[in-house]
Amino acid sequence: MGPLIPNEIITGQWDFVIALLIGGAFGFVLEASGFSSSRNIAGVFYGYNFVVLRVFFTGMIVAMVGLLYFSYMGWINIDLVFVLPTYLNSMLLGGFIMGLGFVIGGFCPGTSYTAAAIGKIDGMVFAGSTLIGIFLFAEFFPLFEGFYYANNLGNITIGEMFGLSNEVIAFAFVVIAIVAFYVTWLIEKRVRKNMTEYKFE
Amino acid sequence: MNKNYLFLALLMIFLAAGLLFLPERHNYQQIKPQDLMWEAVQTTRYVTVDQVANMIIEGDPTLELVDVRDIDEYEKFSLKNAVNIPFDSLLCPNYQDYLGIEDMNVIFYGNDDIKADQAWMIARRMGYQNLYVMNGGLNSWIDCIIKPQRPEETASLSEFENYEFRKGASIYFTGSKIETSTNKSSVKVVRRKKGAAVAGGC
Repeated sequence: MGPLIPNEIITGQWDFVIALLIGGAFGFVLEASGFSSSRNIAGVFYGYNFVVLRVFFTGMIVAMVGLLYFSYMGWINIDLVFVLPTYLNSMLLGGFIMGLGFVIGGFCPGTSYTAAAIGKIDGMVFAGSTLIGIFLFAEFFPLFEGFYYANNLGNITIGEMFGLSNEVIAFAFVVIAIVAFYVTWLIEKRVRKNMTEYKFE
Repeated sequence: MNKNYLFLALLMIFLAAGLLFLPERHNYQQIKPQDLMWEAVQTTRYVTVDQVANMIIEGDPTLELVDVRDIDEYEKFSLKNAVNIPFDSLLCPNYQDYLGIEDMNVIFYGNDDIKADQAWMIARRMGYQNLYVMNGGLNSWIDCIIKPQRPEETASLSEFENYEFRKGASIYFTGSKIETSTNKSSVKVVRRKKGAAVAGGC
């Protein structure tokens, strides 16, 4: 059956409507998880709050396992699902810049909009700055185009890269995620011992 | 630690472990039975031998002829540029690449319609599109294209035109000599006598 647009069950014009709905739901989850607070986000780096890691890891493993079950049931054709191409250089540098932005600004692009939406001034400044950054990136793109497209691995998945099946990769990630949840719980417990603003159960 | 978290973590591991034990499953995209039934009773999948001959002569780049007979028969005689997918091997993965090519019109043929029709049905069930069957198969090809029969004198003009095309195609495919018509009746040309007085005018 799925994916709906490539299988022509609905037309391509729906993608903006679906993006709007998913975007709204995503923003709601970000806000509900406390991501509009830069304290929570920057807490990953100081070791007192790993909610970012937990939320994103949970989202990832649920989506992974869910997609594979959907595929098994024949509800979605996994071969038609778009895989983003991997440009190794730009991903490494982009990840580094993103991490830097995380710890300096206290937001990632999505969470800055959630913060702006609930009226936080730092969120608005951050969101405005991302727009300036996007503009500058687009204007100066020819300068670093070569670096941007270098080391293109194509539309590759982790399973294809290591010659393992998607199921094995999904299981490995679930195990890694659960271990990470437990370890971060231990770290948080230790770090927060002397912090009065956090209660820990 | 909250018991709910423990329960959810165990559930997630259980579900992920379940993935490892799922039997492998091929999701062949099959056509819906009612659509297949509808297409099977239509005659739109048939192309005539004349159409095929025309496409071969014009070098139609979208044409892909598939010979569903055995390899021995294929080697004895086959149409120009045809690929051989023996009917028994149609489901063989090695041959699948020939069928799903975008924008190509696959035309199945055998000695007659029967095998080609069955091949059409199987390939259609596998979800391939743009599949056709050469009506009458190679028997019809020999009768119509290689050895065309002159239509009766009372036949319509289109039948004669078709015959002319088939004769031309026969020459193209067999390399036989151009047949000149022997019963050419001489036409008597009647000329107007010169020097006749100008009739009328001012």
